[in-house]
Amino acid sequence: MKRHLLLPVVGLVVLVVSVLFYFNQSTNKNNPRDEVSSLIFETPDFYNNKLIYENTLGEFYIINFFASWCKPCLAEHPLLMEMKKKGVKIIGINFRDDEENFKKWINDHGNPFEYILRDDGTIAYEMGLIGVPETFFIVNKIIQKKIQGPLFYEDVEKYL
Amino acid sequence: MKMSKSIYKLIIPFLIIHISVISFAGVNELSDYYKTIRCLVCEGQSIQESDTEFAINLKEQIQKKYNSGMPIKEINKELIKIYGEEISFDPPKNHIILWWTPLILLIIIFVFIRNKIRFFK
Amino acid sequence: MFYIDLLKKVIPSTTSSLKLIYFINLIPFGLLVYAFSISDFTLLNVAENSYVDDPIFYKVTSAWGSHEGSILLWVFLINLFGVFFLYKNQTVEIHKNLLFISTLFILYVIVSSNPFIYIEANENVLGLGLNPILQHFLFVIHPPTLFLGYIGLIVPFVISAHMLVNKNFSEKLFKEMLIWSKISWFFLTGGIVLGSYWAYSELGWGGWWFWDPVENISLIPWLLNTALIHSLQVSIKSNQLKLWSLNLGLYCFIASVFGTFLVRSNLIVSVHSFATDPLRGLFLIIIIAYLLAMTVRLNIKSISNFNEDSFNLISRESFLLLNNIFFICSALVVFIGTVYPLFSEMILKTSVSVGAPYYNFAFNLLLAPLVLFMAFAPQIDWGKHEKKDKQIPFIIIFSLLVCLVSYYYLNNFYFALSVFITVPLFLKSILVLKNNLKKNISFYSQWLAHLSIGFFIIAAVYTEQFDYEENLLFEKESTNEIKLQNNKTAIIKNITDKKFQNYQKISVDLLISDGQKEKELSPSKNIYQPSGQVTNEVSTTNNLFSQYYATISTIESNKVGINLVYKPFINLLWLSAIMLIFSIFLSVIKKR
Repeated sequence: MKRHLLLPVVGLVVLVVSVLFYFNQSTNKNNPRDEVSSLIFETPDFYNNKLIYENTLGEFYIINFFASWCKPCLAEHPLLMEMKKKGVKIIGINFRDDEENFKKWINDHGNPFEYILRDDGTIAYEMGLIGVPETFFIVNKIIQKKIQGPLFYEDVEKYL
Repeated sequence: MKMSKSIYKLIIPFLIIHISVISFAGVNELSDYYKTIRCLVCEGQSIQESDTEFAINLKEQIQKKYNSGMPIKEINKELIKIYGEEISFDPPKNHIILWWTPLILLIIIFVFIRNKIRFFK
Repeated sequence: MFYIDLLKKVIPSTTSSLKLIYFINLIPFGLLVYAFSISDFTLLNVAENSYVDDPIFYKVTSAWGSHEGSILLWVFLINLFGVFFLYKNQTVEIHKNLLFISTLFILYVIVSSNPFIYIEANENVLGLGLNPILQHFLFVIHPPTLFLGYIGLIVPFVISAHMLVNKNFSEKLFKEMLIWSKISWFFLTGGIVLGSYWAYSELGWGGWWFWDPVENISLIPWLLNTALIHSLQVSIKSNQLKLWSLNLGLYCFIASVFGTFLVRSNLIVSVHSFATDPLRGLFLIIIIAYLLAMTVRLNIKSISNFNEDSFNLISRESFLLLNNIFFICSALVVFIGTVYPLFSEMILKTSVSVGAPYYNFAFNLLLAPLVLFMAFAPQIDWGKHEKKDKQIPFIIIFSLLVCLVSYYYLNNFYFALSVFITVPLFLKSILVLKNNLKKNISFYSQWLAHLSIGFFIIAAVYTEQFDYEENLLFEKESTNEIKLQNNKTAIIKNITDKKFQNYQKISVDLLISDGQKEKELSPSKNIYQPSGQVTNEVSTTNNLFSQYYATISTIESNKVGINLVYKPFINLLWLSAIMLIFSIFLSVIKKR
């Protein structure tokens, strides 16, 4: 007898669970990797061809992926300039870009970066990049926050 | 005795098929492997089908690792470590509820049939 | 219930009053279509989803391009089915239930997704335009067909609810249920195939099935409906599995409403995304909860009216039961696979993606044995099977041999497995059809359906296992000829740029030649106004059952990238799908 009730009961359980899901939607996704890729400290800076030493960067710094073909990168550019003025150290990583276009882009819009690395995609892969622009906030050598898409003032407020 | 023999006749072809399915399931080609990786910036596509910068770069990087002799299993492990389990359409086998449900359902089928069918007198 | 009682007082005759209510409910959608056809931009919905320069054909179809419009189409179709059902069956009780569900959805439209919201009329409004990806002939027929399939399930639903309430389990009603579930199956299969063909030919993803959540949730009612069609045979012919069939009838419709809920509430990431509004999801949850609660109540109330079912081990009934269990289990597997990412994110706090590898595993496990039985089961007698079929060992050995040979030559496990499970079906079809040429249409429609499943499996596995892809990069000055893997040459002829009513088309003419014969392809990129969105247009050329499939990957001033895929046996796949739809069509018309 009871066997006939099995299906409706299963259905109800499923429903209850789906209701729970519906009102419990959490948006935070866990960050799968929290250490900075060592490749960043093995790739020389584009302008003065020197390696970066992590110890000279201090307690807090930022890694920003950008490209000249990327329109949202231009949108966050003024904010990066302002941050540089306030003394924040930013490592810029130029992601899969043409060298001439990249140079022209920096000349036209200004250079907010302490160091610039050029990347064929290897560093991006190691850092788990999803798309440009993407910014990593590093505190005490650990990735504390990661922002996909252009930065806004609210995102960086507390670091200034 | 007779009834138990005939139910084995039914079960044996199942078992053969199932054991072979389980033991052969696996990917060995690079382009087949691309099909199991989700393009995180697209909606529901694999990197095999996508032409976004993300997919192109991932394909290049995987190709590089593959050519340098890294086995696909290792590449997959590394990829999951970097991007999280979301990256793979092939969820890790430790998702027990997911992977064992079909097998449990199969067991339920056999129990059910045993209860439902009136055997020869 | 209240709704109809009220109207019954106003209009005396019941059948004509029912007809009247149905027709009244048809009007709103008609109005919306009219508003779209004349581009009435005082309606917000029209302004958001159509563009003043769109061709009239797409203007009309924009009516179901948005969430609101498609829900109104849903209401429209419920009532359309009501009208047709009224010609077959005038039982007022059943129609009350149908109208009640229709009312629930009308309420849903009014509360959370009203397409008739007015905005200030403005002469400058030209409309935002229908999403260009939807501007395709198949889009015009795919959603309505699929919806017809989903909503067709409402008739089996109300019939089984009626039977359980009134405890009237007559054969006539079961037969009616069978016809309507077949009609729904016809549309559901058609809708799924059209959607799949649309993704293949329009989206340019190079595949025909992606295990996308929205595809999955259309598959769940399909699997359950397939089970229902088979179990109803048992209920009609041998008076068993009655409660089983009735429950399936109820769950089929619930599954299709659940599918709508999952899509409309945006709980899952998918290609088919709609704007979100928590109220929409909540309302649909309430509808589903109500339907499920009703199902449970009906089960508890009527359980004492049924005898325990029992069968002989080798009988038609037992094999149909086996079929049912497998189909229901596959539906459950699809359900779990679709919902699991949500579950994992909420409970386990990790996000996973469930895709082809999982479903391939589960479907091989559950459906492969089923296909093997499909060859022999239709030959087994009802009640108790007496004859011994001497052909079985011979057929199994033969198919095993074919399987080993194909494994030896092609070295592909999946293809060999699919050969092993389908060869008995083909063999048996030849043997049976040779001896029984004078049987009736239902016999042929059944064999055709089973055969086309066999062809489908062979074609699908072959395409998936043996397709290959090449990325060709042509440079304008230096290379316009590239040698392919199969020793043919791809040559670029010319690049054209044309302007149309609402889009600009850049197309590349490509030749594939093997020295004597030449095949032409012209993939293109369309740039749509007003959004500036770019779509990839696929170009295909046939080679008997196989296809070359080309899309433009990059196009710059000095170089052109072409993505060329060779898809063997893909046409056999579409052909088998058409056969499948035709077979159910045959079995529906023979009843008239």
